[in-house]
Amino acid sequence: MRAAWLIARSVLVEAVRRKEIYAIVLVSCLVIAGVMSIDFFGLRGLSKFYCEVSLAVMSTAAALTTIVLAARQLPREFEARTIYPLLAKPVSRATFMAGKLLGVMLAAAFCFALFMAVYIGGAVYMGSHLSLGLLLQFVYLQLLALLILATLAFWLSLWLNLDAAITLGAVLYFAASIIMTSVSYLYDYVSNAGKVVLKTILYVVPQLRLLDLSEKVVHSDVWKPLGISTIAALTIYAAVYATLYFALAYLSFRRKPL
Amino acid sequence: METRDPIVDVKNLVVEYGKGATRVRAVNGISFQIFPGECVGFVGANGAGKSTTIKTLMGFIFPTSGSVRIFGAEAGTVESRRRIGYLPEVALYYPFMKGRELLELYGGLHGLSGAELRQRIPELFEELGLKGKEEVLLRNYSKGMQQRLGIAQAIIADPELLIFDELSSGLDPVGRYDLRRVLQKLKERGRTIFFSSHELTEVENLCDRVIIIHKGHIITQAPVQELLKPLNIFEIIFSIADPSKLPEVVKKHTVENTGETYRVTIRDVADYARAVTELVAVGAQILSTTSKSQSLEDFFISLIQEARREEERK
Repeated sequence: MRAAWLIARSVLVEAVRRKEIYAIVLVSCLVIAGVMSIDFFGLRGLSKFYCEVSLAVMSTAAALTTIVLAARQLPREFEARTIYPLLAKPVSRATFMAGKLLGVMLAAAFCFALFMAVYIGGAVYMGSHLSLGLLLQFVYLQLLALLILATLAFWLSLWLNLDAAITLGAVLYFAASIIMTSVSYLYDYVSNAGKVVLKTILYVVPQLRLLDLSEKVVHSDVWKPLGISTIAALTIYAAVYATLYFALAYLSFRRKPL
Repeated sequence: METRDPIVDVKNLVVEYGKGATRVRAVNGISFQIFPGECVGFVGANGAGKSTTIKTLMGFIFPTSGSVRIFGAEAGTVESRRRIGYLPEVALYYPFMKGRELLELYGGLHGLSGAELRQRIPELFEELGLKGKEEVLLRNYSKGMQQRLGIAQAIIADPELLIFDELSSGLDPVGRYDLRRVLQKLKERGRTIFFSSHELTEVENLCDRVIIIHKGHIITQAPVQELLKPLNIFEIIFSIADPSKLPEVVKKHTVENTGETYRVTIRDVADYARAVTELVAVGAQILSTTSKSQSLEDFFISLIQEARREEERK
């Protein structure tokens, strides 16, 4: 456990010292500031518009940051050969991977915390309605979505080169965000074989929209926080995908010659 | 015949890379053992299979056939690595970390507590000539400094077995001197050391035994002293007031006049003894006498040349 934590801490230190996270947060803030400067819906409409755009920008930026961070962990270790002294220590490959994943998640959480600080500041300034319960659930479910993306990017990075892993990870992220809507549109118009294919896609690709509470947060004046059983079900759903991708990554890495 | 249990036990190790037509056999059925307290040099030309063997000992790559056991456990297991300190061939470390942080990471992974790390890290920085560099980011370390830090991470937990791949690569003469001192200390404390190096004088000075590998085969493994045979070449440097008085036994060998002094090289021990006696008798002043031995480098080169000739004959 201590070994995993030490490795995670080194990932976090890198993420913080490379300053990429700050750059992403800054760029996102500029986009949001641009949105705040537009006033064509009247004040009430603008505050919801601000919330909607901010949360969308933040979720996308956090997801892409997580994909990049996770996808580069293992290839960078191979490329810089830093993996040799690390795995020469009494650390199993599973612990090494768990440490890397934990580090990526800590960095993602740090990034998300910065985003949330900006969001809450902006929402208060715009006079938006804030529901603490919904906001906490939103953050929790976003982190679960980021966990799925991180494990997916880990797995991809073990059998693709770094650029390809990041690109495919990003494509899958956008696909996973829209696939549920697309499948439900198409389902009634395809053959039986097509229905099987669509169902398979639906089960194989994680439905990240299930973990996205941004619309409820935007309209938190009318929505209540989710029930505990729904949160538990979503946690299990995310855990299944994250475990599956992590296990696939581990199986690829377990006997990989270095 | 060794009666102790070996720390490293390699039996018929074969390692192949690639698949199908591109399959390459990097290590071809080698066997060797390393016993507690030994310092063993692993020598071979580039591509001989040294790094592949060492990576197999560390569990970075896996044997195609044969077995590798370290401290009785299969190589590469967490259990076997607990007692090993390892320096990789090319030591690159996280550029965003500070020297102290890196050693905290590696020491922590080796199971050292916070208090142990606080005591050990300054000692290592001092010992390896890196004092004052603890808080410097590694991106600002020179290659030699990174290599020293690499050695520090390898010995931080005072492991029983040290495995160094290309021991002194990237080190300047001062660095090599410091490293030799560190290794001598470890040797004196009974640590077992196994290292590959292209610096054969280093192997000659430090090692008890040497293993020579060529194209995936071990072609010799023997105590270093057995390989350093006397060559029966003697050199006398002397000055003489009247060169016409040079004894016959001296004249029959190659004599070089180097201004004020003369140098004679003699390839016979009896002639050498006579030459010294007769030079003194004719009033010559003996300035120095040396007897030359075969160095490890001479032996290695002759062995490799012999192996190449053998391959050409086949």
